[in-house]
Order: sequence, then structure tokens, then C-alpha cells
Amino acid sequence: MNLFGLVGVFDSAEAVRRAAARLRAAGFRAFDAYTPYPVEGLDDIVHPGAQLFLPLLMFAAAIVGAAWGFWIQYWDEVLNYPLNVGGRPFNSWPAFIVGAFEFMLLVTVTAGFVGMLARSGLPKLYHPIFEASGFHNASRDRFVICIEATDPRYDGQSLRVLLRELGAEQIEEVRA
Amino acid sequence: MVSTLAGQLPAEAPVVGPQVTLGSLSDDVSSRVLMERAPRWWWVGFAFSFALFIVLVVQTVWLFVNGIGIWGVRIPVAWGFAIAEYVWWIALASGGTIVSALFFLTRSPWRSATNRIAESMLLSAAPCAGLLPILHLGRPGLFYWLFPYSSVMGVWPQVRSPLWWDFICLLCYILMSLMYYYAGILPDLATVRDRAQSRSKQIAYGILSLGWRGSVREWQNQRIVYATMSAIMAPMVISVHSVVGLDFAAGLTPGWHDTQFPPYFFFGAVISGTAVIIMLTILVRWGYSLQSVLTEYHLNAMAKVMLVGSVLLTYAYVWEAFGPLYGGKVADKAEFLERIFGFTAPAFWSEKVLTVVVPQLLWFPAVRRSQLLLFLISGGIIIGMWQERFVFTTASLEHNYMPSSWGQFYPTVWDWAALVGTIGLFLTMFFLFLRFAPIVAMAEVREVVEEERAG
Repeated sequence: MNLFGLVGVFDSAEAVRRAAARLRAAGFRAFDAYTPYPVEGLDDIVHPGAQLFLPLLMFAAAIVGAAWGFWIQYWDEVLNYPLNVGGRPFNSWPAFIVGAFEFMLLVTVTAGFVGMLARSGLPKLYHPIFEASGFHNASRDRFVICIEATDPRYDGQSLRVLLRELGAEQIEEVRA
Repeated sequence: MVSTLAGQLPAEAPVVGPQVTLGSLSDDVSSRVLMERAPRWWWVGFAFSFALFIVLVVQTVWLFVNGIGIWGVRIPVAWGFAIAEYVWWIALASGGTIVSALFFLTRSPWRSATNRIAESMLLSAAPCAGLLPILHLGRPGLFYWLFPYSSVMGVWPQVRSPLWWDFICLLCYILMSLMYYYAGILPDLATVRDRAQSRSKQIAYGILSLGWRGSVREWQNQRIVYATMSAIMAPMVISVHSVVGLDFAAGLTPGWHDTQFPPYFFFGAVISGTAVIIMLTILVRWGYSLQSVLTEYHLNAMAKVMLVGSVLLTYAYVWEAFGPLYGGKVADKAEFLERIFGFTAPAFWSEKVLTVVVPQLLWFPAVRRSQLLLFLISGGIIIGMWQERFVFTTASLEHNYMPSSWGQFYPTVWDWAALVGTIGLFLTMFFLFLRFAPIVAMAEVREVVEEERAG
């Protein structure tokens, strides 16, 4: 059983935000917080910086989707099977807009959905944090912080003191 | 994130009851999914719904054996119940997306507890909408010819047709709604997984929640994507229902060939979709005893949305009358007069009472607070909107340009079976959602709870 990290369970969003800020200021980097809802400001502490990947991914997907949707129709109506309908031009692009629009949205949402899972490392049915006895309340009304053993500053004894100081109601070493 | 409206809440009706805590919310909602035995009302409701669904199965088999001649569709009325009901169902589904996506963007606090009901409703209604046009094809087995795939026959769909746009819209809409639903329910499935006692449920919800942990990174990504999806779903649903309007507007039939159809259809979606969500919310909050989570505040807010829908629809009705009467086209005027004074007159006028006159009661706060009245008004609106779809679909075809080819549409027993059957399909699916998926978006309501606690 390898040591995964030290878990502290807090009873409010305030407390977990304070604890995360304190850990960050003390130089810890390999720690994460598990909360029942997105706590405002917590992401700026744990993963600071602008999060541009997913928005840009979805934007790129929108362009690709629109181009793809239009191309399918262009290929069909102009190149592969030109059909003269009431003397209209083969490339009657205004009529292709609806299809291109819907494809654009479908591809964008799909990219966002897949990107969201991939960037979060999901699906991942097992994670060492599940071994923590207090973890099941992180999806209910408790706020969990875990300092991982991979952090160069990890020191079980002094971290325990620190977490208790910060008001953790339960402190636990996780092995997995 | 929901602080904007907190100052305007009526003091007597909080968004969620004061007794709701993070813990009680998670336990209450999860326990409805995890209970060993479904309550009796669930079984009664499910059995009833499933019986209606069997009607759809029988109807469909009979249709496949005999063709669509079993329905009352005869030239000149080639579009009957199936198409009218297709529009009706897609309007109900669209209303679900409007409540869910549009009001996420406006950060309305009442959206948090009702959006799951709205989305479950839309995912139950959309298949009904998708099924009817396929059954209405002369050869339903060839419906896949609508896909723009590179078939070896070199036969492509006619992409200049609104009917094809409609197919693409509905296909994209259902797929996108599924992803939108799943992106939102993921944290709630994790909550259910963590509450589950039996091994089988732990495994089932463990797999469904994909290992969601609620880490900072996960929330960050989920919120970015969910907000962007909402911003996409809102115009998407407007486009879907507008294209349904174009199906008719692009036809040269008097009464259909009208530029106002896309927004007019969308207004119908706002009112009928909200109406069905109100009915389901009232039933769910009593059935599952979630009165403290789904409060009067939610019903009040949705009643106002329904009232707005009714006013918008009234505006469209005025233009629907103004166009043919003022426009000076003989056929348009004749068709309109036939519609309002002829065979369809009873359906036409009772529909106006149900969707225009009666909803005006919602101006009164006392009516919006009465669940019985809300339930009845909503039910009336849904029936009224069905009549409306029926009247404009058939009445126009009945009175085309050539009076010698005017005819009447009479529904057969199989037409009614298709109506009853799709209602069965809808209810069956909704009951399954109710039983196996958390019916309140816990992760979002938690924010409302914290917001209220902080004052």
C-alpha cells in the first residue's frame, strides 16, 4: 500500500478556501480539493491562470463543424449529384446554411463534452482518493483537501498540525 | 453565481425551504433514486403509461403491415395527426431546453431545481417527436436515406428542402440534448454513487458517474463546458422550432405560406413546454415529497414564463388573422374564414380560450400560488396547443386554391392510437427517469442553498 497523501475534511466552503490558499502560500503544488459544488475562488487558488483550452477547442470545433456541414452539402449538390431544381444554382448556399449551422453546433457540443471528460481525466472509475473514509461526504456537504505525497514539501507530521490549525474536522492518511 | 436575484425574492417564498441543508438535500434526492421499492403511485403510473405504450406498439405494427392508409390522411389532406403531433411534441421538448438553457444563461435561481425535470421531459418528448414523421413516411424502413451519407447508389437527400433541415435539426437536437443532460447530471450521479448501500447500485452508479470526484479541475471544466453548451442550446432550440415552422412556411398552401411561422412556432414552444414542466413539477414535488426543494417560488416563476408565452402567442395570432384579411389574396382569406367558421371552428375557438384567454388569469399572484389552478391552466394549454397544431395542419390542406378539390380530414381510430401511444411512450420514459436518475440537479441547488444561508 503506497502512501497517496494526507486528507483533511472541512465543513464549509470558507474553510476549504482558506486552507487551499494557505497551502498554496506555503509552497504546496500537488494538492487538490474535492467539493460538492464548484466553490467560488477555489479554482483560482488550486489551478490559477486562465483556462483557455476548452473554449478554444470548442471554437475550433465550431469552425470545423460548419465547414464540414457545408462541405457535405456542397459535395452532394454541386459535385456528386447536381440536380437542377427550378433553375436554381447548384451551389445555392443560402439553403445550405441551416444544415451547416446544425452541424456546427453538434460538432461544437460534442467536442466540448469529450474535451470536458478528457481534460478531467474521465472516465476513470478508480482513484486513490476513494480510499479516504471521509470522501463519500465530499459529494454531500463536506469539503475535502488532499495533499499528495508526491509533493516535495510533503511531511506528514507538520501537515497534520497545519490542517488541524486550519480547522479540519477529520485528518486521515490515504494509502492505496 | 445566483446572487443577482436573491435580493428580489418575495420574503414568504424562498427559492428553497429554510430547512434544506446541503446534507438533507443530497440525502432526500438520492434516496428517491436509491429506495428499494418504488412507491405505489409510481407503479400505478408506470403501469398505466406502459399500457398506453403498448397501444403505440400495436399501432406501429399495424402501420407497418398496412401502410399509412390506416390513418385518416387522404388527398387533399396528406398531413394529419402524425405531423400535427410531431410539431406538438417537438414544441414540448423545446420548452424543456428553453427553461433549462435560456434560464441558465440568465442565472435565474429557480432554474436550478427544475432544470432536471425539464431535461428529463425533453428527452422523453423528443423521441415521440422523432418517431411520428418516420412512421408517416410511406416506407418507414428507408428513413435512413435522409442521412447525408455517401451511399453507393449516389442518391443524396434534397438538402434545399426544409423537410431535410428538419431531420438534421431533430437529429442534432436529440444528440446535443443527451450530452447536455449528461454533462449536467454527472456530479449528481456521483452523489448517488456515494450514498448507495447495495453493491449492485454502487457499481451501476459508479460506472454511470464515470468516476466523478468533484475535484477542482473537474468542476472547472464542467462549468466552462456547461455554460458554453447552454449558450449553444438556447439558439439551437430556437433554430429547431423555427425550422419546423419552415416546413409549413415553405409550402405554398394558403394559411401556411407565412413569414411569421418560425417565431410563431417558437412562441408555441415557450408556452406549451413550460406548461408541461409545471404539471410535472407539481406531480413530482408531491409524489416525491420534495416540497421544500421545489417550492412555490419555482411554480410562480414558471407561471410567469407561461404568461409571457401566452402574450407572445396572442401577438402571433393577431398577425395570423391580419395577414389573410388585409392581404387581399382570395385563397388566403377563404381558407382563414373556413378555418375559423367552418369544420374546424370548435377546435379553433376553444383553443383560443385555452391558450389566450384563460392564461390571462396568471396575471393574478393568487392564481400563480394555487397549484390546482396552475395545473388546470397548464393542462388546458397543452390540450389547446394540440388543437392549434391540428387546426392549422389540416385546415390549410382542406382548403387549398382549388375549391373543387376541397376535402375534409377525419381521424381514424389509428390516428387516436398514435396520439395515445406517443403519450404512453413519453410517460413511460419520464417515469423511468424519475425512478433511476436524480430528478433535482443537486450540485446546482447546493449553490442556491449556500447562497440563501449566507443571506
